[in-house]
Amino acid sequence: MDSLQLQALLPFIVLASASVVIILLIAARQSHTVIQITGFLMMCLVVLAMWYVRDVLPRAIMPLLVVDGMAAVFTGLIVFCVLIIGLFSFIYFEEREENPKEYYILIFLGTLGAAVLTISRHFISVFIGLELLSISLYALIAYLRNRNNAVEAGMKYLVLAAMSSAFLLFGMALIYMDTGSMDFDGIAKQLQTQGHSPALFVTGIGLMMVAVCFKLALVPFHLWAADVYQGAPVPVTNFIATVSKIGVFAVLVRFAQAVQLQSYHFAVIIISFVAIVSMVGGNLLAIKQQNIKRLLAYSSIAHLGYLLVAFLPGNAAGIEAGMFYLFAYSITLLAAFGIVTMLSGRQADADQLEAYRGLYWRNPLMGAILTVALLSLAGIPLTAGFIGKFAVLNAGVQQQLWLPVIVLVITSVIGLYYYLRIISTLFAETQVIFPKEKSLHPLFVAGTYGALLVLLILLLGAGIFPSAVIDGIKNFLCQGFRIINF
Amino acid sequence: MPIQYYIALASALFCIGVVGVLTRRNAIIVFMCIELMLNAVNLLLVAFSKMHYAKAAAAGAVTTAGTEGQLFVFFIMVVAAAEVSVGLAIIVMMYRNVHSVDVNFLNRLKN
Repeated sequence: MDSLQLQALLPFIVLASASVVIILLIAARQSHTVIQITGFLMMCLVVLAMWYVRDVLPRAIMPLLVVDGMAAVFTGLIVFCVLIIGLFSFIYFEEREENPKEYYILIFLGTLGAAVLTISRHFISVFIGLELLSISLYALIAYLRNRNNAVEAGMKYLVLAAMSSAFLLFGMALIYMDTGSMDFDGIAKQLQTQGHSPALFVTGIGLMMVAVCFKLALVPFHLWAADVYQGAPVPVTNFIATVSKIGVFAVLVRFAQAVQLQSYHFAVIIISFVAIVSMVGGNLLAIKQQNIKRLLAYSSIAHLGYLLVAFLPGNAAGIEAGMFYLFAYSITLLAAFGIVTMLSGRQADADQLEAYRGLYWRNPLMGAILTVALLSLAGIPLTAGFIGKFAVLNAGVQQQLWLPVIVLVITSVIGLYYYLRIISTLFAETQVIFPKEKSLHPLFVAGTYGALLVLLILLLGAGIFPSAVIDGIKNFLCQGFRIINF
Repeated sequence: MPIQYYIALASALFCIGVVGVLTRRNAIIVFMCIELMLNAVNLLLVAFSKMHYAKAAAAGAVTTAGTEGQLFVFFIMVVAAAEVSVGLAIIVMMYRNVHSVDVNFLNRLKN
């Protein structure tokens, strides 16, 4: 490994050292505030490191990793999400009795896992990244262990995630037998020759898709989503909904790009089917939900279905649309779960829809942010969600994927119904008196409100001036596409 | 031995694992079944690694073909150990909460 390769890995090394630094701080008996601020600064350091190494990209670290433009976009998005989630975590965990310090170690380890997924080009690194992410998540979901439901959610996720990893490994083993190689380019090269057997390859891809669909919570592997979203602490729910999905989608895109997955007829049929049933199933299940965490879980199933429509074409336009969609989806969910975090009290999370009745009259800022976030999820113009959905539709229509596109449009209308139902609750009259929340350090309250405002500006900004974001993504991707030739 | 025997054995072990996870009610046994699935994959990988090595060696020349499969097995073993340690911790917490490791008790989360 030469120095340029080390330089390209610098952001990931900083990210890995973040959890070590937190462990040392805990050993030195520092307070929650110190740990929180250090964690925040470490994440800022990761962003700085990414900016510092931008000229050495793209660079492959054979045989496991490749740091290119696409990895930079996805990692940047992941680190941004973790920055915001970290801020929300302080307010959430400061109110609870449990010791919140180790939480930050696990969050940073999970982030590292997702970041490794975005740069992996080999089955071993995919597996390590995925497990780093999932094992941190097992502990994170069950973190507030005195609430029975957290342990239940952790147990459910643990059993199902471990089983899906086994499916992934079985699929990888079959592909390894077929091609004799584990790195993506090697597999792609082997697939060009005639010596491989299609049956093994198809079975392997099928088994791997089971695991990917599970991690992305796509129908028919979505059953864990609602329970885990409901049982996990709100910042962890936020983490699952954004960071883990970004990481898994990144590796899916890279693998598909290497082996030209979309040129296989069976793969297109499987992915279209999963996308369609996810869009329909997610939206229908969400309609009658009274619990906002479960509702967002079902809506995230539908949104990942929309994302797969952008993945189907398999060309540059599709990947750009997918990235923009993920960006819009992540900031929207960050804002929505941020409000849930702010409203959650000491005893229970604010997950019942009743807790939101008349929110706008009690706290206009929070009400407005949640309204914009929900409108963005529904895909109303002037928000980021609309542009995201438009880009996805555009990519689908260009490839004449009529069936998924039509389902997307119809299910979006169904989705509008339950998002508007929440919004009407926000503006309803209320007589209930809500207890005043505990006063926290003013700096953190200001920080959290600041983060929410930044998200609001991003949501509206990306909705009104989307070209800035899209051009940025295109620039990074051009860097990424250069790597194919070396 | 032909490679088909290894594939059949590993597939059988894997299927036993899947059926066990889906039907057993005791959390510890569910865990054992997951381990069985992972170890079935390990067996498969070692067999394939040997197969690729033999194929490359038959074509002549000293070769490193097949090392990846064996390397992967080590990673799987390490990760499985980590997974079990976290999993058992969660089972212990579950036992403290409901005084049982029966997964049927995990039914509180619903609308």
